[in-house]
Amino acid sequence: MSFVPGIAVPIGGIEKELGRLWEESGDDKTRASLINLAVYNEKEGSLQTNSAIVQGIAGEHAMRAILIEADPEAEGSSADSWINMHCYPRGSKGGAVCSEQISFRLGGLAARSLQSVVFSHLDSDLPLALWWQADFRTPVDGKLWRWVDRLLFDSRHWKDPAAQFAIVSEIAALPEARTVLCDLNWARGLPVRQALAGLFDSPSALPEIRRIRSLEITHAPGFRTTALLLAGWLADRLGWKLEKSGNSFLDPSGAPVALVLRESPGASIARLHVVSEGASFEVRRDPDSEQYVTSASGKAIPSSGRMVRAPREETREILLAELARGGRHPLYAKAIISLRDLW
Amino acid sequence: MSSPSVNPLREGIANRLAPEPCTLVIFGATGDLTHRKLIPALYNLAAEGALPPSVSIIGFARREKTSEQFRTELEEAARKFSRTPLDEELWKSFASSVHYHRSPFDDAEGYRTLAAEMDRLDKERGTAGNRLYYLAVAPDQFPVILDHLKASGLNRAAEGSWARVIVEKPFGKDLKTARALNGLVNEVFEERDTYRIDHYLGKETAQNIMVMRFANSIFESLWDSGHVSHVQITAAEPLGVEGRAGYYDTSGAMRDMVQNHLLQLLTLTAMEPPTSLGADAVRDEKVKVLRSLRPLRGDDVFRHVVRAQYAPGLINGQPVPGYREADGVPKDSVTETYVALQVNIDNWRWAGVPFFIRTAKRMPKGGTEIAVTFKSVPRVLFNSTGEGLDENVLVIRIQPDEGVSLRMSAKLPGSSLRIEPVKMDFHYGTSFGKATPEAYERLLLDAMAGDATLFARRDEVEEAWTFVDGIEEEWKTRKDDLAFYEAGSWGPAEAAELAARHGVTWRRL
Ligand SMILES: NC(=O)c1ccc[n+]([C@@H]2O[C@H](COP(=O)([O-])OP(=O)(O)OC[C@H]3O[C@@H](n4cnc5c(N)ncnc54)[C@H](OP(=O)(O)O)[C@@H]3O)[C@@H](O)[C@H]2O)c1
Repeated sequence: MSFVPGIAVPIGGIEKELGRLWEESGDDKTRASLINLAVYNEKEGSLQTNSAIVQGIAGEHAMRAILIEADPEAEGSSADSWINMHCYPRGSKGGAVCSEQISFRLGGLAARSLQSVVFSHLDSDLPLALWWQADFRTPVDGKLWRWVDRLLFDSRHWKDPAAQFAIVSEIAALPEARTVLCDLNWARGLPVRQALAGLFDSPSALPEIRRIRSLEITHAPGFRTTALLLAGWLADRLGWKLEKSGNSFLDPSGAPVALVLRESPGASIARLHVVSEGASFEVRRDPDSEQYVTSASGKAIPSSGRMVRAPREETREILLAELARGGRHPLYAKAIISLRDLW
Repeated sequence: MSSPSVNPLREGIANRLAPEPCTLVIFGATGDLTHRKLIPALYNLAAEGALPPSVSIIGFARREKTSEQFRTELEEAARKFSRTPLDEELWKSFASSVHYHRSPFDDAEGYRTLAAEMDRLDKERGTAGNRLYYLAVAPDQFPVILDHLKASGLNRAAEGSWARVIVEKPFGKDLKTARALNGLVNEVFEERDTYRIDHYLGKETAQNIMVMRFANSIFESLWDSGHVSHVQITAAEPLGVEGRAGYYDTSGAMRDMVQNHLLQLLTLTAMEPPTSLGADAVRDEKVKVLRSLRPLRGDDVFRHVVRAQYAPGLINGQPVPGYREADGVPKDSVTETYVALQVNIDNWRWAGVPFFIRTAKRMPKGGTEIAVTFKSVPRVLFNSTGEGLDENVLVIRIQPDEGVSLRMSAKLPGSSLRIEPVKMDFHYGTSFGKATPEAYERLLLDAMAGDATLFARRDEVEEAWTFVDGIEEEWKTRKDDLAFYEAGSWGPAEAAELAARHGVTWRRL
């Protein structure tokens, strides 16, 4: 039997049916919401996957979720909708806190007029995070995007990153738009960036940051862009310019920095290895390990190492981390731009 | 090429000042505070990658033990008290930076060897001589430790590095001892290198008071004598004095809670907007509130302050003994376990607004909150029933169940006009399911980053003592004002009368 994402309700009666669902659910349930999270996907079966993700995060980040499975190429116009609640026990008195989920399966015209569906079901005054799980298309529809507070996407899935990035940049630059670009692939790299940054905190290691000669990143299949974002971040922070060959950078003193990307099964980013003139620095995550191991050694510095907790590599964890962090990501666009020619 | 002095990779990693690598020396490292709070906090920071990897921790105490034994004891404590489950590998990695240094506090040789140990660790870990000394000891040990730090030159940092000291409460037991203590500390460390911990300030909701007030235009424009009728600040706990009688009986609720935590909450509630979020800008405004507190002297003390002690009673249906029956408490003790005050802040903003402060042991329920009650609307429109309307009350709950609620009036559904109070309630735990970090985590990182905003400055501590001393002095002249309340009740009748004189009733938590 195919997956049913809740109670089927007529699209015009969603709010009323939600109200009824609340009335029937008893006094011990509290509705909570910090954001509207709309999730858009064009693949069949996405409602099931996304329901599971919403269920996994609602306990830590209460929301109104709006899931959309769309087939914009379909003939005519069709729309089905369902409502559902995800409840979590809270407190010692047996109460529960619940997030609402509204799901849509849209075809044809209904799928192409997304804003009318999304906007009529938002929890008013709460920010709108739109998680776009499809390719971005041109022309950019200002009516929809202008209202999005946080645009979530995962550049890991982009087949043409340069073109896709150009479109998201256009969205972020729409007049009156306040959209913050939130690439989950950038969030995915945060623990590695943090671990590497920690290695250069010590005063003996810090001078080595200007004398880096090679950067090697080992990534799992399908995570090349995650590795590129890390390389782009370092290039931007340290003023490296990508050489035409794409195999190396020039640092501000004109000295070369070799860039090697390796693909190997394992953690999304299994190893980041930086070698400077006087030392070498490594952030490593072994297969199935829940830790990053960081280490520094070399003639210029004393050896040191530390283990730090690594988040699970599930979309749920990364999404939660991104939602909890909030704020803008000014370094993201710079990281992309500094590696523009490699995408 | 010139060397960078700031790590360029730190930008954008976390929305806070980055903590700097250092050696943290904990004096009193075999004690309760280290085991229950400091080590679990440091472990969690390390596990999350928030602690710079080259931070070393040296535990300084007099008991004979090896670093290995010390780590094993700390592991047990961390297993019990850490807010996240202990992970073997992460613990091992963290513990490798923890060392034990055995020495009595009064032995100069112990400080010479400490210096040598720190130099060795600097070389081993490539750190530049930043030192953070944590005095996790009773205040009577401060002088000997500080004297030796000074004599051995450990209070002076090498060029380009820093040496800071973290001091635990109590910051003295009156103005005189606080001044002496501050004088002593400041002879050894400059004020900007002195970090006085009041862990209430490290709590998320305490930090949130400023955000609430200054990031929301609706509150700040109503935050004055034109709109506020009175403010109640309460810290209640169901516990008695168990196990702390020795200290508590010489201190009492006024010194233990009001002088520090509650007056800190009062300053955050009443302060003017600071010119920036810098440590001194914020603390300048807080200290102005303390200076504006109308001093209580002579009979005024007995008109404005009620002190009381718990008598036997019931907590959760179980009989509990009275304060004077507790182990270690003298049978004729007049130490207060309850104190209620009505204070005035003599400045433009708060002229005529009574502030009520109350703290107590053996209350029916525990909780800390700030309740701001707004003035009633004129009785013009909705007075046909003859009953007054309930005022709007904004409550900031500090613990437990941190959150904010607002009481408003609303019409009951139906054709008649009946108005009832309704509550709009925001619970942190409901919307944010994630556990918030412990106050000590935040405060340790801040001290390593050189951010003193959430620490008490010397003048704040001394102003608070000036106010409290006036009351304590007067109390010494009498005993007959001490009231009694049954354990498990909401306090003595005298406190209710104090509030009633202003037309106020104490809130039931
Ligand atoms: N415990 C808490 O949760 C808590 C909370 C807030 C504030 N505080 C404050 O924190 C401070 C410490 O409290 P605590 O509960 O941790 O105290 P504690 O358990 O009594 O520990 C005292 C520590 O000091 C050491 N010590 C005492 N005299 C010494 C000497 N002459 N030479 C060397 N070491 C000596 C002890 O070492 P030995 O093992 O050798 O005796 C022990 O490590 C106090 O000011 C307290 O008010 C504590």
